[in-house]
Amino acid sequence: MNKELAIDMLAAVKKPARYTGGEFGSIFKEDAEVRIALAFPDVYEVGMSYLGFKILYHLVNKMEGIAAERVYAPWIDMEQMMRERQVVLTTLETRRALCECDLVGFTLQYELSYTNILNMLDLGGVSVLATERGEEEPFVVVGGPCVFNPEPLADIFDFAILGEGEEALPEVLACYQAWKRDGRPGGRQGFLHRVVQIPGIYVPSFYDVVYNEDNTVQSVTPNTPDAPPTVTKRVVADLNKVDFPTAPVVPFGEIVHDRIMLEMFRGCSRGCRFCHAGMVYRPVRERRPEVLREIAHKQVENTGYEEISLVSLSTADYSCLGPFLDEMITDFKDKKVSVSLPSLRIDAFSVDVAKKVQAVRKSGLTFAPEAGSQRMRDVINKGVTEDDLLHAVSAAFENGWKKVKLYFMIGLPGETDEDVLAIAQLARKVQWKFKEITGKGGCQVTVSTSSFVPKPYTAFQWVPQDTLEEIHRKQGLLIEATRVKNISFQYHDGKTSIMEGVFARGDRRLGKALYLAWQRGQRFDGWADVFDFERWQQALKDCGLDPDFYNHRQRGGQEVFPWEHLQPAVNRAFLANEYRKAKQELLTADCRQGSCNGCGVCQRLGVPVMDWGSRAYDASQEKGFASLAEKMAGGDNLSYSLATQSPGLPQRGGGAE
Amino acid sequence: MKLRFQITKDKEIRFISHLEYVRTIGRAIRRAKLPAAYSQGFNPHMKYSLASALGVGVVSYAEFVELELTEPVEPLAAAAAFKKALPRGIRVLAVDAVETNAPALMSVAGGAEYRVTVPWTGDIAAAVEQFNRAPEVTFVKQAPKTKEKVKTIDVKFYIPEISAVQREDETELRFHCRITHNGSMKAVDLLNTLNEQYGLGLPVEKADIERLDLYRVDEQGNKWPMLDSLYIQG
Repeated sequence: MNKELAIDMLAAVKKPARYTGGEFGSIFKEDAEVRIALAFPDVYEVGMSYLGFKILYHLVNKMEGIAAERVYAPWIDMEQMMRERQVVLTTLETRRALCECDLVGFTLQYELSYTNILNMLDLGGVSVLATERGEEEPFVVVGGPCVFNPEPLADIFDFAILGEGEEALPEVLACYQAWKRDGRPGGRQGFLHRVVQIPGIYVPSFYDVVYNEDNTVQSVTPNTPDAPPTVTKRVVADLNKVDFPTAPVVPFGEIVHDRIMLEMFRGCSRGCRFCHAGMVYRPVRERRPEVLREIAHKQVENTGYEEISLVSLSTADYSCLGPFLDEMITDFKDKKVSVSLPSLRIDAFSVDVAKKVQAVRKSGLTFAPEAGSQRMRDVINKGVTEDDLLHAVSAAFENGWKKVKLYFMIGLPGETDEDVLAIAQLARKVQWKFKEITGKGGCQVTVSTSSFVPKPYTAFQWVPQDTLEEIHRKQGLLIEATRVKNISFQYHDGKTSIMEGVFARGDRRLGKALYLAWQRGQRFDGWADVFDFERWQQALKDCGLDPDFYNHRQRGGQEVFPWEHLQPAVNRAFLANEYRKAKQELLTADCRQGSCNGCGVCQRLGVPVMDWGSRAYDASQEKGFASLAEKMAGGDNLSYSLATQSPGLPQRGGGAE
Repeated sequence: MKLRFQITKDKEIRFISHLEYVRTIGRAIRRAKLPAAYSQGFNPHMKYSLASALGVGVVSYAEFVELELTEPVEPLAAAAAFKKALPRGIRVLAVDAVETNAPALMSVAGGAEYRVTVPWTGDIAAAVEQFNRAPEVTFVKQAPKTKEKVKTIDVKFYIPEISAVQREDETELRFHCRITHNGSMKAVDLLNTLNEQYGLGLPVEKADIERLDLYRVDEQGNKWPMLDSLYIQG
């Protein structure tokens, strides 16, 4: 097996350090009994920025006899040379080919990275189709947010872990270790029947899907008594009790998020109706401030990083944010370490906080109203008003900022042309506000839009996605409407959104098209310069599949979805009610501050919301920041969807653009 | 005071860029908790620098890093702490302490010694002899990025002499290359020169290039080590 990345190969590719490993903090376990490759289906800089794998890498490598190693998708230049010279894809640590590992674990962060999974398996010497995998081959396991509908990949992976991996993955590895020690009884099937006993494990081959004549799903039922009718996700009840990495790998080169990522909490209860993350990561569970500080100190010592980023789905919602920030800034000032709030797409902007954390340079600020009109913001349950935005930009302008970037989605359910044009009007209003405050013109406003993609387990899982023609037409409206001095307009490629939509709410039948498209050369579909829409359309057609069936169809109230046997524990009735309220433009309050909205997650998982605000700090200290947290409605959901839509896009929120 | 370290860029990390190498050293200094001095101002920078830039893909056993400190430290203890904070592929070979106002290391490097190994077994003896005898050998250097701009250099000014050893499946070249305030030349360009001038057909892209040493050169042309070193065991 040829593993050598020869000098002339490395000299010829872009960013050769992607392939050579050896970074400070990487862990080499030459003689581990069980080896899992944590495989990220995108390039090194993107994959190395993924917190989930930092956590699992740390956790697994603490286990006796078990090693976790890293592998990323080689960029096209490297792949070409590897194929020419028949060089196999290996892990970065001990340079094991993927086929020499016991398990290969992929994270499903983004639908358009699926072809890379097939490609990496193939390059790593692993059979791409699960049914063709031999007894000596590794098990392919998947996890991550898209695992709540992994059906398009059902032909590829052997099993999936639903939900958080801190407890589930060690259980799976221990199960594997025992099976291996026992002499692999029952072969591959034997292991799958063992591992499926662990809660949260989904083995797709243990389920049969029956379709109706209209191509919708009739039923998904287990074909073995070992598999449960529905699989419910795993969550860690108390984040303070699980390990968080204190000595992560420090890359040589610059990665997308090149700083300490301190995870403040999981989940978001804002309830934006478009947001997948807001539903599948519930309930909200905060880490205690003292635990966070301790982790931060250790990470600074062990990494040498000069920046700590406070990450979560909406960091401004951390209940003790104000006093915590003060303590962090005091702690690290002398160590020349700055603290930033990366995912803070601030709606109501607190100059105090922005100044404090220096997350925001004077060059520009980013806000995420998500929709242009109040009506649409109510439809999506955004919970912010135009006044909030104008108030926020006023504060910014008064403090010297001159540039603003505004994020929106187009194609939201029920959107009219008036709603679309309101985006441009809002940008104008921001400019007028600048003039009102400074007496001068020249405020630079960048309007950035992405195209809404309906996702499973959201209130909008029933709605049709805008057609490509409609997306283009709406983008055209905005191109015209933003032909104003000092307003610039950016938008996402609609074609990638269409394919993202097909896979987001797709079923098992898509597996054939995925395989075919990969065979015909598709990979790195999330990268606009590589993505080939026509090839995808052709692949779907050649498999007898109609993209419109997945994308542009209003789904029925009683329709069985392909993903319903996989449960993030959000009640369907709750989502249906949210959809009804969306149509009526009614808001739903954040359950964290008010009463339970009945999404069902806490009850079904037996895990309550954890919020330390009232306990950990002096109430008077907290007071000054209560209004801040209230105002900073989480535009962060967008930052999530952006992160997944354009993996190459560095998104340092707080708005430092 | 300033600390000066001789460190390596070993084979396993040869493909990290100079910028990546510099950043890695900065982070290691922080991890080692050396009392580094920082520049003043809104965006303070750690005061450290490297003696010379190294091309991507080139292995080196003679990289020199200079670090300004806010308080004196015991050099060997500092080197031990630094060593622990470095990734695989960077070793600390020597350490030296000088006054803060001593001239920057970057300005004193006068030459470097290289070993280049290529998987090639043609006849090199004649080319070596001709090169060594020639009063001048010109090479047209492509200036990076600006493709129109080319610069003609005299290779012999930088590399007066080369020697070669041939083995069963490879050829090894050794030479010294002068470094001036206006720059130097890349080791790889010597191979390009030999190919152009003597039609050798060396597989330049497969060359294994190692910088064996970096040194000072006085006015008489004598070579001096970069550090008045305290060499480190192991």
